[in-house]
Order: sequence, then structure tokens, then C-alpha cells
Amino acid sequence: MSEKNKKNPAVKNDKKVKDNTNAASLLDFDDDDPLGATSVSKKSLVIFFLIDTSGSMNGKKMGELNTIMEELIPEIRRVGEADTDVKVAVLTFNTEIAWMYPEPINIEDFEWTRLKAEGVTSMGAAFTELSAKMSRSSFLNSPSLSFAPVIFLMTDGYPSDDYKTGLKTLKANSWYKFGLKAALGIGNEANDDMLAEFTGTKDTVVHAYTGGQLAQMIKIVAVTASQIGSKSMTLSDSNEKELTEDDVYAKKQQMLGQQIQELVDQTDGQNVPFDTGW
Amino acid sequence: MFNGFSHSVMGASHEKKGTVCQDSSAYVANDRYAVAVVADGHGSKKHFRSNIGSRSAVEATLETIENFYRNADEFEEKFPKNPKLVIKSIEKQVIARWNAKITEHLRQNPVTKDEKKDFTTDEFKKIPFESYYGSTLITAVVCEKFSFGFQIGDGSLVAVFEDGETVMPIGDDESAPANITASLCNSNASSMFNSFFEQNKTVAALFTSTDGLYTSFGSDNDFLDYHTIISSQLSEIDEFEGAIVKNLTKRSHFGTEDDTSLSCVYSQEIVDEKNDVLTAKVEENKRLAKERKERMLNRA
Repeated sequence: MSEKNKKNPAVKNDKKVKDNTNAASLLDFDDDDPLGATSVSKKSLVIFFLIDTSGSMNGKKMGELNTIMEELIPEIRRVGEADTDVKVAVLTFNTEIAWMYPEPINIEDFEWTRLKAEGVTSMGAAFTELSAKMSRSSFLNSPSLSFAPVIFLMTDGYPSDDYKTGLKTLKANSWYKFGLKAALGIGNEANDDMLAEFTGTKDTVVHAYTGGQLAQMIKIVAVTASQIGSKSMTLSDSNEKELTEDDVYAKKQQMLGQQIQELVDQTDGQNVPFDTGW
Repeated sequence: MFNGFSHSVMGASHEKKGTVCQDSSAYVANDRYAVAVVADGHGSKKHFRSNIGSRSAVEATLETIENFYRNADEFEEKFPKNPKLVIKSIEKQVIARWNAKITEHLRQNPVTKDEKKDFTTDEFKKIPFESYYGSTLITAVVCEKFSFGFQIGDGSLVAVFEDGETVMPIGDDESAPANITASLCNSNASSMFNSFFEQNKTVAALFTSTDGLYTSFGSDNDFLDYHTIISSQLSEIDEFEGAIVKNLTKRSHFGTEDDTSLSCVYSQEIVDEKNDVLTAKVEENKRLAKERKERMLNRA
């Protein structure tokens, strides 16, 4: 190639933009950006809520849950303000399973749809459905990097289907494996041992026996899990030893368990129990 | 006549750590062909010279393509008869040149005590020297008769055709096993490339970018639309180039904070002639994006 028709073959690296341009103007992002039609994505966190809407939830439990979830959304919105795009996906299960929205919704656009309770508890089918959607080719298809998801299960009873098969499918899913799992048992019938099978540890299983506790527990778990879930943990420790993803996951899940238990200990046990008052 | 641009900006996370930009980018454009190339040096500590590795990758690629074009008529005549074979041959020559460059760099710049300080003696012995310089590579080439590209490791190659259709012609990486980042430093690097060849559609512009760009988008649609918008402005590139650099800087600060490189080559005649088509495509994309959002918010 002759020199005269070779254009700009110089290789660019080793220099910050400010070395050859005006840094102040480059970092002034408030003006009109012709490329702004395609927005910048931060690192994203999807919070999955798995909610039991079977008949036993009917009445005050469902009413309270709807109200709490409406109030919770602005609180979660604040978690993601700084560095994280928080998205929410809600899967309800009774005789049928259904997603509230066709895909995870940015928390800024999310509006809670009040749920109704009826039918039986197809929790195993919900686990299978969750596993199918927790995939790069489905709900987790954003090019931007994703934190491992938060998965929060709420139920007031025992599954009426074969939940173990569904859970086995879910446990083979890498997003589930690295996700932060928590569960809330509502009322006397919910089985904490079964919920611990879902979370992998009893530390992230909490129980609400009253309307007041339900509000407290949902907020404690959802907000704490979102905060820890969106926390960037370096992949090296203080000795510069590189950590594996397993190490980071284990640290986060442990942190979630500790913080949830600390916060639960601080709550009081007032209000009328679900199963006596409702 | 072909034209182009290339930019590498440092990610905010690297600025905070005080490290160098590990990306490299370049383009060559003349009246016969054009090449857009980017490379992303790996970030982990055993790749402590990956900025040199990425720069060597870009240089090796430009030299290799130039070498193949020494007899341009013959090259363009023979290439379409067996594109896979020719691309494979180019990839192998790129690897050979890259290896020669890093070998020479190491000969002239032996590893220092400071570079070794984060490793035990045994740890350091186990690192092949090629790993010091580990890098990805994404290359796109266009001439009047055809276009092609090849890639090893993360990153993107986008083609914008004269009708505004915008695609990523290289599919998902199937050559690298799960959890293994394909890299020039791998001993089986030549088997880890993916490539494309196109001679039936006329390319308006070809883009290569490091993964810092792709991961700053919320969807593939947004990512592709971004390239269509740039293509619609290439007729007035002198006025628009500042906006591109500014946007890349924004993405490297507010996205995943990774180094970000974008290299582009285009046919000046086609982007001038088809400017109305490309502009109309941008408007259509905006309408489609709005419809997608409305569908997404449609609750059950």
C-alpha cells in the first residue's frame, strides 16, 4: 500500500481520551447526544418474586401482600439508583402459573398488579417455569453484565404438586446456583424445612405470623437481598488471590443470611396472627 | 473510496485503578479496501502485558491484510472461490505475526521484578509467556466485491448494508468451550476463530468493537440501532466524530466501566448515495423500539 492512500493506520491505545481531547467537554453529558436514542445500560440485577396465590392466601394475607408490594417498589427503586439497573419479574402460582409482565421490567416502569388468590399450590411447576426463563436466551438476555439474580419465594402452605422434580430442574440452572435465594413462610402452615430446601440454607428463610410481620419480613428480605445482590465484589481478596465465582456467591449468600437474621432479631412480634385473626 | 475512524477510550474502572488502557484499535482505508480492527487485552493479573498484546494484535492484522493485498486483483479474484480457506490462512498468519511481535517484545523487555511480585516463583513458572500478552481480536474487511471478518474472543462485528439492514454476521461463539475465553494466547488459537464472508449484499459500513461497547447496551436491538444511527451520519463524519468519542466515553464511564473501542470502515460513495435510506431506517428503528417497549409493559 502506498503511503499516500493509507489513512490513519496508527494503533490507538495506552492513552486516555483526555490526553488528546478536552476532558471537561467529554465528560459533560448533559447536552444533547445524537446517539442518546440508545441509552447506556448499567450493570443489571433482576429480582424474581415467586408468589403463592393459591386459595389459602385469599383474604387478608393477599390483601396485605398486595399493599406491601405496592409500597415496596419505591424502596427497591432507591437501591438501584446509583450503579445498577434493577429489574423485577413476578411469577405467581396457584393452579396455573403466570408472569405479571411478559419479561423483567425496569423498576422505573414497574407497576404492581393486585393479585387474587384461588386454586391449589403448583410450586413445582413454578420452579420449572422459573428455570426455563432464567437463561441468556430468555429473561436474562441483556448484553449488559448481570449480577446474579435475587430469587424471593413467598408461600403460606405446602406444594400440592411434585415440587422436588421442579426444584431439581431449578438447581441445575447456573443462574439459580449463583443467585441470592430467600424465602418467606406466611402463617402456621408454611414449612420452613421445605423453604430451606429451596434457599439451600435456613439463614435466608424467614417467617411471618402476623400482618405486621409480613410487611417487615418482605421489606427486610427484598431490600437487603437487592442491596447485596447489586454489590460489586472484587474477584480478588486482600492478598490479591483471585476468587472464583463460587467464592463470591458464597460470600454474598452468607452476608444475606447474616443481615436478614440480624434485622429479624430487631423486629417485634406484635399484631394479630394470620391464622387466628384471619 | 473507503473511509473510516477508530477510537479507544479507557474504562472508568481502569482510570480508578490507575492502569493503562488495554484496548487497541485502528483502521486502514484506501481506494481498494478497508480494514477495521480492535483488540481487547485481558484484564486478569497473569496478562500483565495485555496492552502490548492488543496493540501487537492490531498491528499484526493490518500487516497481514496488507500482505494479502500485495497483488490485489489476484487476491480478490481467488478469495470468493474458497473464502473459508483464505480466511483461515489469514487468521494463521495473524497469529504467527502476533507471536513474532510478542516474542520480540519479551526479548527486548525481559520480565521485571515488579511484574513478578504478585506471583510465587512456582505460580510464575506455570504461566506461558504468551499469556502475559493475552488479547482478543475482531477484524472486518471490505472491498468492492465482498466483505469478510474474523474474530477470536469477546467483542462484536456489525455490518450495515446499503438498505439499512444491520446485523451481527458472526454468530454466538461456538468454537470456545463454556467458561473459556478464546484468546490469541491460547495454544489452539487458530481453531478458536469465528468468521463470516459476504458477497451478495452491498455493505455500507462495517464496525468492530470490544465488549465494553456491547455490554453498555440493554438489548441487542439497541446495540444494532446504535450502528445504524452512526451509519446515517457517516456522510458528515467530520461533524459527527466528536459525538461518537463523547458517547463512547459516556459508555465507558456509566456502563460496565470497561475500556471501549470502536473501529469503522465504510464506502464513502454508498453512505453518501444511500443517506436518505439510512436516515429513514433510523426513524423506523425508533418506531419499532417504541412498539417493543409498549408490548413489554403490557401486563398479564
